[in-house]
Amino acid sequence: MSDDAELLERIRGGATDDFAEIVRRHQSRVFAILHRYERDGHKVEDLAQETFVKAWRALGQFDGRAPFEHWLSRIAARVALDHLRREKRRQSEIGLPEFGDDVLDWLRSSDEKDELAARGAAELLELAMRELSPADRVIITMQELEGRSVKEIARVLGASGVAVRVRAMRARTKLRRALEQMAKEKL
Amino acid sequence: MNDRKLKQLFAAARKETAPAPAEDFAADVLRAIRREPPPAAISIVDLLNLWFPRITLAASAVIMLCLAADWGLTAAGIPGLSDGVSQLSAQWLLTPTGL
Repeated sequence: MSDDAELLERIRGGATDDFAEIVRRHQSRVFAILHRYERDGHKVEDLAQETFVKAWRALGQFDGRAPFEHWLSRIAARVALDHLRREKRRQSEIGLPEFGDDVLDWLRSSDEKDELAARGAAELLELAMRELSPADRVIITMQELEGRSVKEIARVLGASGVAVRVRAMRARTKLRRALEQMAKEKL
Repeated sequence: MNDRKLKQLFAAARKETAPAPAEDFAADVLRAIRREPPPAAISIVDLLNLWFPRITLAASAVIMLCLAADWGLTAAGIPGLSDGVSQLSAQWLLTPTGL
């Protein structure tokens, strides 16, 4: 089994079909990234396809200095950012999720020992993050959910590391306030 | 909402699994890219951009090597590279009659 570099060389040489192998190798990672920004499975699939098509178009720019996976992840994050910007414009049309009692209890409770299920947590976070700008949402998602470095986030957003740090701090405060507000409203 | 509770929320959300890609997802992508023009071949400008740092380093190394050789030859009393050039220009290029 050849590595990504060999496969990409063959694709550049005209072996278009080999791109399917690249897709198969990296599709789970791309889906995981995009699912952090979009909960609708069909939309995630559309965004994943957009990511791979963009990667295909830009293959000439991949210089192989960093692993292909990192390069592809950056494209996926940019696709997600564009998607959030489009969605922001029609946010009022998006319905609010119905939370279960466990999520509401956790939100109201001051006890840090209470456990929250993954799905409920992701839905709650998604709703609270609607209060953030698309770029701030990308910063928080990459930093807190994907564990990416400030340098990587700065590269995706085309911003400085200092700007990312400052924005992350403000976004976290805004997110905390949004969750507090939700807790008050749901009481 | 304190910081620890927010971290707890992030930790719980991290555990959520993404939907699995459909069986024929790779084939769908391939169909989509077949409708696309082929990826652009690397242009001369791209190649130069890619090689620029290495070319700069190589050129600097050659210059340093020439300077060191010239300095070494001069110190050893052997006519250096610049002497040769000066001699050549004095004898051939900068004579009143020229070439």
